Amino acid sequence: MYTLQLWIYHTFRAMKWAIPFMTSKWGWPFCETVHFLGLSLLIGTIGMFDLRLLGMGKRIPIAALHKLILWGVSGYVLALLTGIMFLATEPDQYIFNSAFQWKIVFMAAAGVNMATFYFAVFRRRETELSAKLIAALSLFLWIGVIVFGRMLTFFRPADCGSDPAAFISTCIPLR
Amino acid sequence: MHSFFVWLEATTLSAWIRESTSILAFPAILSLHTIGMGFAAGISAAIDLRILGVAPSVPLLELKRFLPVMWAGFWVNAVSGVLLLIAYPTKAFTNPVFYVKLSFIALALLGVRSMGLSVFADAGLDFNPPPRKCRLLAIASLVCWAGAITAGRLLAYTYSHLTSSQ
Repeated sequence: MYTLQLWIYHTFRAMKWAIPFMTSKWGWPFCETVHFLGLSLLIGTIGMFDLRLLGMGKRIPIAALHKLILWGVSGYVLALLTGIMFLATEPDQYIFNSAFQWKIVFMAAAGVNMATFYFAVFRRRETELSAKLIAALSLFLWIGVIVFGRMLTFFRPADCGSDPAAFISTCIPLR
Repeated sequence: MHSFFVWLEATTLSAWIRESTSILAFPAILSLHTIGMGFAAGISAAIDLRILGVAPSVPLLELKRFLPVMWAGFWVNAVSGVLLLIAYPTKAFTNPVFYVKLSFIALALLGVRSMGLSVFADAGLDFNPPPRKCRLLAIASLVCWAGAITAGRLLAYTYSHLTSSQ
């Protein structure tokens, strides 16, 4: 596990081109802003679709509402690209951060959940229980991704030996 | 104003949110504020996109069923926002960007309200292209929510005093 983490760490560390922009005065705040705009677009459209599957706004045809999903995917891409910029700048703060690890687990689960929906449920009857379970799971997982994203600051890893600044920190034998 | 900040920051609630190492203090409030943002700005933006022509086969009037979710997101943020304000009153009130954020939110909510009065009150709008006025309202709404999110994010980078003692 630690070898994998180190490999991911070095992969992002190699993206040095991101650092001059991200350490400039407005680079990091700009990416944070785009990250949150993307998040809102994702929750607004995919969340709305999930709520529809759960029975809200029953008179809206599911296939019609599905056209909004493309905008949710755009929001996801915005958040993903800016997320890569954060990792390229401070990889150790994320790779060895337990909140980040949970965030990735929840994102992967949301991806599997979405794939299940498209391969198994969407083509068949939409109102059945399985669609509702997937929709509820989707809402739970994306909200979890937001929560773990917010927790990142409070689970920052510190170098071994140094005084941990964050109140819940782990020690990484990195440097 | 300064003495008010000093008093507020000395209250038990303010100190607890600011200084507690409990995950239920600052981290939980911040998480709720972000979830509320996603639903308030996101649902509103999805409705705006439909007005602007995305997913034209969605019956526009039926989207009002999602407005309570948008308002729930807003109220979660009003409450969590006040708690964050209680924790760091000086940080917010001494930063002009905070007033910009509040103005954008006020304008965005006015937009949602006038949409309730115009768009969702007109049965003729279900599938027909909305009139120019509605589309302008949708664009203004998107700009205001994006502005509120941007200003909110920048609060972390633009404050001059974190607490009254600084």
